[in-house]
Amino acid sequence: MAVSTENAAAEIQGWLKENVTGGREVSPEEPLIENGVLTSLQTVELVTFLEERFDILVEDEEFDEENFGSVEAIASLVASKTA
Amino acid sequence: MSMLHPEFTLHDLLANALERDPGRVAIVDGRAEYTYEDLERASNSLGAALLESGVKKGDRVGVYLEKSWEAIVAMLAASRTGAAYVNINPLFKPPQVSYLVQDCDVRVMIGDSARLEDLEPGTISGTALYKGERPRSEAAGRFEDLAEMLGGGAADAPRIESQVSETDLATILYTSGSTGMPKGVATSQRNIVVGAQIVSTYLENTAEDRILSALPLHFDAGMSQFTTSLRVGATLVLQRSRLPGDLTKALRRHAITGFTGVPPLWALLLRSARSLQEQPLEDLRYIANTGGRIPQANLDELRQLLEPAGTKIYLMYGLTEAFRSTYLPPEEIWRSSSERGNCIGKAIPNTEIVVVNAAGEECAPGEVGELVHRGPTVAMGYWGNEEATRKAYRPNPLAAPELLDVERVVYSGDLAKRDEDGFLYHLGRNDGMIKSQGYRLSPEEVEDLLIGSGLVHEACAFGVPDPEIGHLVMAVVSLRNGEVPAEKAVEKIREHVIKNGPPYMVPKEIIVENELPKTGSGKIDRKGISNAYASG
Repeated sequence: MAVSTENAAAEIQGWLKENVTGGREVSPEEPLIENGVLTSLQTVELVTFLEERFDILVEDEEFDEENFGSVEAIASLVASKTA
Repeated sequence: MSMLHPEFTLHDLLANALERDPGRVAIVDGRAEYTYEDLERASNSLGAALLESGVKKGDRVGVYLEKSWEAIVAMLAASRTGAAYVNINPLFKPPQVSYLVQDCDVRVMIGDSARLEDLEPGTISGTALYKGERPRSEAAGRFEDLAEMLGGGAADAPRIESQVSETDLATILYTSGSTGMPKGVATSQRNIVVGAQIVSTYLENTAEDRILSALPLHFDAGMSQFTTSLRVGATLVLQRSRLPGDLTKALRRHAITGFTGVPPLWALLLRSARSLQEQPLEDLRYIANTGGRIPQANLDELRQLLEPAGTKIYLMYGLTEAFRSTYLPPEEIWRSSSERGNCIGKAIPNTEIVVVNAAGEECAPGEVGELVHRGPTVAMGYWGNEEATRKAYRPNPLAAPELLDVERVVYSGDLAKRDEDGFLYHLGRNDGMIKSQGYRLSPEEVEDLLIGSGLVHEACAFGVPDPEIGHLVMAVVSLRNGEVPAEKAVEKIREHVIKNGPPYMVPKEIIVENELPKTGSGKIDRKGISNAYASG
């Protein structure tokens, strides 16, 4: 099932709000790894969530800051995998 | 290694590295590389700025920065002025920062703008030096741009000449115990320097090393990687992302020769097992583990993946109160196994580790007792907490009676035994201390955070053993009033905890009960509750 970048972004933002920021909204461009918003273990949990929610598989090589550095980046990874 | 200056202080280590090879890269931060000459100039310049802003010898300078070039410069700058740096966990939220700032009276703070901006108004009474945009907040009395202090007008400042000796306070390392709020371990210049000498000796570090700094700088082992690198004049590569893809990329790109991690980090690295197998890390001379036991399956896999390429694996044990304590040399690694137990090796050089029983006598081989550390890395004590200091830092039980109260040793609270060959085995603890993702937590810290939500009447936090992360934090609470349905309340409490505490303090589960069981003396029965939970 194809997922749009917008839909993926909304889901990711919802997950971050509930599990990482305690209610604070995260903008699509906000750096997540560089600024230490998201720890590595939280990112592992996020990947598990994304894999289950969108029925995708994130490869080890893709599991990096380039793909997980912002909501925008994660959303386009998800979109490309479901396309 | 030629030694031009005697090694008494952290900045003496810099002076030696500078004279040996001023052009060598000291720090890699992202795409930027900084030489020892850059480190000398920037730390002198920032030190001068700190003096200008009123910092005096013995003052505490807070460093609330994500790991970065600036965070490294800040430690050396403070040291040069005779002030003590206090590295604050960047995962801390405003309540933990406020507590720490008050506990050790931090008046000047160096921090990331966004972090400073989140702090409560008036948190810092003096100056805050910000990295980034000027913070729109009243967190500090005065704001100054850190970038200007590092490279601006003060760049040509004369070399700071201050009287700093090895007995001066160098830093305060915040950590938790089995009870109460976090305590600051007052660590002297001598503790830092001797720690660097000891660790760089047994890890056989040289100027040729390129060390990956993947641990935070407020953590003793994370700071130790910086001080050992500085001592031998090596290159330290600052690594913020610990995602598997980034770790392997950094190891390869920078041809890393050594790095230290905690058990959850190895689990992340092992996700890239296939890549490591296909393309072995030829340059990686060693890895060193600290902060808890690696699950045996992960250790076996690491050995299988890394040892054929020549990487040595060190298992280390340290407690912040004495910086570093023991290590198991790579050739003895077989001693740590599911059958034999968690072998932590022998005392680090220049140090004595004894296992003592309740009578204060040294245990016989196989006899379980408390691990006691004696040596030059024994810290000065807990900042402003005489009672806790007296409990952990006690006279050496094995000293001659004539010397009984001359020297203090550290009682770790950790249970251990020694085998016939003199190797030490770690057996856990007998108290409620929680170790989550390499961080020490007391149950009270978690309970305090839960109660801070305003919805909780009574709270009980405890740790449930987990092979990968040490302990999972669990909480049982009773609610303040029955108006909010339990499910909704748990959601709200969770939101509060996530917003106001670091991730490793957030309970995995929050269980609501009508009332919490009490002991005979009317206290919440933490042991009973955690036992009941463990037995389902």
